Amino acid sequence: MANHPVEAEGLVRTFGDLTAVAGIDLIVEEGEIFGFLGPNGAGKSTTVRMLVTLLRPSAGVARVAGFDVVNEPNAVRRSIGVALQDAAIDPLMTGNELLRLQAVLHGLGRKESTRRTGELLERVGLTVAADRKVGEYSGGMRRRLDLAMALIHRPSVLFLDEPTTGLDPTSRLAVWDEVRTLNDEGTTVFLTTQYLEEADELAGRVAIIDGGRIVREGAPAALKAAVGDPTLRVEVDEEWLCEARTVLAAFGEERPARAGRAAIGLRGGTARLAEVVRALDDAGVPVGHLEVDLPSLDDVFAEATGRRLEGAGASAA
Amino acid sequence: MTATIARPRRVVVVEQALILARRSVMNTWRQPASWIPSIIFPLMMAAIYSAQFERVTDLPQFPEVDSFLQFILPATILQGISFNAGEAGSALATDIETGFFDRLMTSPVGRQSVLIGRLAGAATFSALLAAVLMLVFLVFGAAPDGGLPSALAIVLIAAALSLSVGGISVAVALKTGSAEATQAVFPLTFIAIFVSSAFFPTELMSGWYQTAAEANPFTLIIDPTRRLAIEGFSFADLGQALFWVAVVGVFTLGLSYRAYLGRLRRA
Repeated sequence: MANHPVEAEGLVRTFGDLTAVAGIDLIVEEGEIFGFLGPNGAGKSTTVRMLVTLLRPSAGVARVAGFDVVNEPNAVRRSIGVALQDAAIDPLMTGNELLRLQAVLHGLGRKESTRRTGELLERVGLTVAADRKVGEYSGGMRRRLDLAMALIHRPSVLFLDEPTTGLDPTSRLAVWDEVRTLNDEGTTVFLTTQYLEEADELAGRVAIIDGGRIVREGAPAALKAAVGDPTLRVEVDEEWLCEARTVLAAFGEERPARAGRAAIGLRGGTARLAEVVRALDDAGVPVGHLEVDLPSLDDVFAEATGRRLEGAGASAA
Repeated sequence: MTATIARPRRVVVVEQALILARRSVMNTWRQPASWIPSIIFPLMMAAIYSAQFERVTDLPQFPEVDSFLQFILPATILQGISFNAGEAGSALATDIETGFFDRLMTSPVGRQSVLIGRLAGAATFSALLAAVLMLVFLVFGAAPDGGLPSALAIVLIAAALSLSVGGISVAVALKTGSAEATQAVFPLTFIAIFVSSAFFPTELMSGWYQTAAEANPFTLIIDPTRRLAIEGFSFADLGQALFWVAVVGVFTLGLSYRAYLGRLRRA
């Protein structure tokens, strides 16, 4: 079997009666950004914790950088860079101290530690702040330091767990740029995210996880194309919702929508939009708002699970 | 593109323990609120006791001392150390709560280096704390009779005691992963010190209190440490104090080690 940067087969993790991960198979190819997408509590973090040797799988096998996560954990740890959720960084230490600590933990010698620390501070734009305590850093600075720490030993596989959660848009773009650059340099990236836009923007391939299982997997474009027809959403007053649904049913399959809206997959695409508007008008339905979206990853998620991803911004018009 | 690490494993493990010990010392130092009370509080108690009990030194069963302050010098130092000993556990629990412990565990750090580094840091900081307390006593005219050897011996016992007492908090931290639960252990130490010969010779106690104080490991540690201060340096007293510190340590550090393995296994 060829070695993939990440491969898992039948991965399961239970906590007492709760099954957090219910049998996951996945393969991440060399040099790709793999997006691992799902709502909170879907089993994303548990899966990542198993892959980075923090949790033992209850069943199944996983190999990372060619090493078994259970039997060769140290070899896995030497090969991976990990930036876990919430940037667990000691606020009492300076950026410089933390990078040096990380270098020693990875067995780098003094000279190499100094060189790498300088290089990485420069790379993430923290040279000036290097001797300030991390407690005084902004959220974006912490994330950048976190990323630098994950890179100290030039890992071949980088695990980023929700790298932009809680960041402002500018800092988010900066992290995205850095992830792309790293990937261009050859690092395979396993990116966990609950942001559709992030997965769409960065990942070459995504796996969507829900209820501890992977429900869809593939390139974002292919997944979206597979959903098919664009989504038509109509916003009407509550008392007209039923009528609106009846009218729309003639134009396509109903799709999940937020409260106060009706949505369908519009058969025949946007060319039929005028027809829909006329039909609604004929039925006397007063339309507050109408929009058409080409399929998004949110639609892929909705089609797979019957629910919308929490906090998904993709459907907002 | 992974960096090849061709350095000897043993060297790397020692470096890791050292840098983690250094982190532990620096982090404690950077939070004065965590250690200043361990200096102020025992010194205040010492000041109050010595004002209250200066004349008890004349009692027939009281050991021969220069002053009551000299009598309580070792106990005050060991008290300060014991108060601070919970810090090792609290800091570890905070690391677990914040996820920093996970960060350590995703690196190829030697698993033993993490625990050893934490404990070595705590012992180093305790030695510094003991030295500071000793200096304050010197300023107020209470010096150990054995001079520098006695002073160093007391600092050594204090550092060792910080591990034995700190072992309990480290065990609780590793077991629960909660800084609050870890801090809740503190009153136990407080009571254990008061029911001991720390501030009064057991010969002058009576009833259950005397029985409890005589069986208290703190008494077994404090008595020989006190002899180092009031009778002069002897290897026998140093050995006896360290022996009882070690007895307690085998138990508490054993618990920590078990809790550590438990945490690693649970993962």
